Amino acid sequence: MMDSMTQKAGIIAAAAFGVVLVSSAGYSSVSAQGLPEGFKKGDLAPEPSAEMIEAGKRVYFTKCVWCHGVDGAGDGPGADRLWPRPRNFNQGTFKIRHTASGELPLFDAKKPIPGQNDLFETVTHGLPGSAMPPWEGILSEEQRQQVLSFVTTQLVKDRKFTDKQSESQTVLQLADLKPKPATDESRKRGGELIVEKKCVECHGMEGRGDGNAFNLKDDWGFSIQPANWHKCWNFRGSRQDPYNVANIFRTFSTGVNGTPMPSFADNTTVDERWDIANFVNSLCERDPLGNPLPIDPLTDKPKINFVIPSDMVEGEIPTDLEHEAWKKAPKRYVAMGGQITHKPRNFVNRLDDIWVRSLYNDKHIVYLVEWDDRTKSVAEGKLPWAPTQVNIDVKEQDPKTGEEGSIAAHQNNYAVYNDAIAIETAVKWKELPAPIKPRYLFGTNEQFPMDIVKWEADGSLRAFKGTGWDKDFEERDNYEEAMKLLKAEWKNGRWYVMIQRPVGNKKDQDYDEDTFFEVGQYIPTVFFAWDGHNGDAGRKMAVSAFYYTFMNPPVPQETYIYPVVIAVGVVLLEGWVLTRRSNKKKGKTL
Amino acid sequence: MKALMSLGALIGVAGLLLLGGMFFDVVPSNTVRLVEGYMPIQLLLEVACFVIGFTGLSYMMNAMGMALPRFWQGIGFWIFLMVYLKYRVYPPIPFSVRAMYGTVGLVTVFMWVSANEEDWKKFKQPIMNVLDAQTGMNRLLRYAYLVLIPILIGGFSFNAMMPKSEEPIELRTVHPAPPASTKVHGKTYTLQTSQNPYRVNPEGKYDQEFSNANIVEQGMGRLMKPNANPWDEKNQGYLKYVREGGEIFFQNCHFCHGDNLNGRGLHAFAFNPIPANFTDPGTIAQLQETFIFWRVSKGGIGLPNEGFPWASVMPPWEQHLTVDEIWKVVLFEYWHTGYYPRTWD
Repeated sequence: MMDSMTQKAGIIAAAAFGVVLVSSAGYSSVSAQGLPEGFKKGDLAPEPSAEMIEAGKRVYFTKCVWCHGVDGAGDGPGADRLWPRPRNFNQGTFKIRHTASGELPLFDAKKPIPGQNDLFETVTHGLPGSAMPPWEGILSEEQRQQVLSFVTTQLVKDRKFTDKQSESQTVLQLADLKPKPATDESRKRGGELIVEKKCVECHGMEGRGDGNAFNLKDDWGFSIQPANWHKCWNFRGSRQDPYNVANIFRTFSTGVNGTPMPSFADNTTVDERWDIANFVNSLCERDPLGNPLPIDPLTDKPKINFVIPSDMVEGEIPTDLEHEAWKKAPKRYVAMGGQITHKPRNFVNRLDDIWVRSLYNDKHIVYLVEWDDRTKSVAEGKLPWAPTQVNIDVKEQDPKTGEEGSIAAHQNNYAVYNDAIAIETAVKWKELPAPIKPRYLFGTNEQFPMDIVKWEADGSLRAFKGTGWDKDFEERDNYEEAMKLLKAEWKNGRWYVMIQRPVGNKKDQDYDEDTFFEVGQYIPTVFFAWDGHNGDAGRKMAVSAFYYTFMNPPVPQETYIYPVVIAVGVVLLEGWVLTRRSNKKKGKTL
Repeated sequence: MKALMSLGALIGVAGLLLLGGMFFDVVPSNTVRLVEGYMPIQLLLEVACFVIGFTGLSYMMNAMGMALPRFWQGIGFWIFLMVYLKYRVYPPIPFSVRAMYGTVGLVTVFMWVSANEEDWKKFKQPIMNVLDAQTGMNRLLRYAYLVLIPILIGGFSFNAMMPKSEEPIELRTVHPAPPASTKVHGKTYTLQTSQNPYRVNPEGKYDQEFSNANIVEQGMGRLMKPNANPWDEKNQGYLKYVREGGEIFFQNCHFCHGDNLNGRGLHAFAFNPIPANFTDPGTIAQLQETFIFWRVSKGGIGLPNEGFPWASVMPPWEQHLTVDEIWKVVLFEYWHTGYYPRTWD
């Protein structure tokens, strides 16, 4: 603790020093006309035609009104349960732009050209990490332009896209700026610059968005959080191309209007901005070879493999993350969604993925779960209900935004509970009768329960039994001593938790209660995660789909023998065919 | 004929270049998009285009004196088919299904090359040539095959025997048979005779024609009819309830089923099986309103035995919504997708 404090102080001092340095040298990055480097003056686009606006109204009231509201104030029926909240168009504040900080975004109803039409690109590609979906393939290009014509002229009320008196366009010439190759040197310099430019103050030491995450508000007073650089697929401006460094360069150059994220165009050179962008881009999760993760075009998130392989180790399972066995163990992306089906419902879940690795030996299986959580939460408040309880008495509808107790008012303002993670496996997964697969999320009945192992940030490791969809979890005190917490550490916005449990054996395990982990079999596995600072507790949590734990069996002897036998067989067959053919030919010629 | 064939050849070359470009990221991999809801027919049309293209190509090459032997044509087409199925079709189809298509494709190729005695002879000629090894080249080939084939087969079987952890395939029934009646909030609804109480005209009478006339238009965007805006304050009857249903949908359902009802909501990426896509003509367009009412009320847990596996996290919405709210959501879903619910007659 002391260590990290001094470290932080040191960094702040370094950052302050850096700012002094930069401000003295800052003017070098401003070009002759007083524009930041890389920017050029642009012209305001002409007003869209009345037909476009009218046609756009029809699109808006079919598709957009449900979240953005009748007056475009970001207060549609869906808004209260969304986080980030839908955009309030009235002020003309838009996040993702090519224009200088504070300016209106590029929009030209006649030019749906990438790089020259920010709003069109936003509608086309959506805003990943928020509820705004990509509308490409759903609305035609023309329809997208129409709806934007309506929004920019009718719903943006405080500003006017065509008013030369009050509006200007200073456009980032991204197409003309060649990205700097992402060399080690460039990334290294970027890594230094993010400290110097104080990026780490909000985005955190490792860029997991865990810096000053709690006092940040947007222009409307709603809580927001700094981006996590390790999840580039959630960058709002990623334009369905998350590993493209130009997107980071653009956001960094123009800032994010309406949020505390400023533009750095005035105090960085283009060269420095590429270094920073290269560094930030290098932090995004990659595969072991350093290649970008494959992105699923249907979800714009990393592709999911539902099998979590577990490798065998001889002897004790290592607890050191740097151990070779852990480094070799495949790391699986497990997607998490909010649990919105039982009260209390988690509409604004903050944990959207965890990373899982696993190892086993003859007695135990260990799961290493890592996930990004901006805050370390250890319970301060006492839960008003038992955490194992379901269908508790909470109101179906939260108060509206603006009223006391609304979801928006609660954001960053909950009683703090424990961060937690749970691994749920099916008991008697082998015996499920064929037509029925009774392993609904929380177990089906007494006969086919689920075995739940839950770690909480207060250090407890407990076991539960789930016996039904709307049944309370039962605590299993007698199993707890069989498990062991090998590691639980929160560092720079990431939890590392290692949980060990017995694999079980046929002799002394009670199959009615525990999951039997059998080598070479697919064991249904679900993950639950809680973010204590988000008020997560009980069934207010994030859930995954059903994954499979698969303990890789040692390679059997036959694997090496049979292929050789088969190959020899093929040689013999070939000999037979050839002899037959030549005999036949001989017979003919003779 | 020649003009027609050269057109075909052009299609073939263009198609191959485009497909190759998309596979190897020369052009963006979404240059030719799979249109939502029309994917199967689009893929069939694409393959048909390629068949036309190949016919043209082979004709042109023939005319130019560079004819490709039938043997290689057959093999080439089959390989093309397999590559197409593996890399073009998205979401990817499992290997077992591809294997079935592959077998059918193989049989088709064989039928084509063995359409008559002469063709068949032509087809097997290259094989015979290698077996007989009359020329030096063929002799070389023969020895190469002699060594390569056992190695390849041995390798494949080794690969097949290595323990693997591929995702097990789980099939599921898309539309399980509904019960005759369902009890929601203490009241029994007979699925055959129940009606959506909100499918009414401004006078408050059940009116299918009125509601059908006010749903969104089919076609790109599925936009509302110009004079049927559910957000119009003056609405009475159907459109008023559509708006109320939409409000409920966007507070409860869109998280999974998506803003456009296409099953791609905010949390959908985390779930398997993915949430139902209502814009797909195979879902609510095929069903009666009462079926949807039953599914919404009872959720994944309420599925009958043949509806396994119960991996669905769809909750029984009767726990969160009133009967009226459920009917309104159902109403909204049909309005927003522009489908008519099926009726019993």
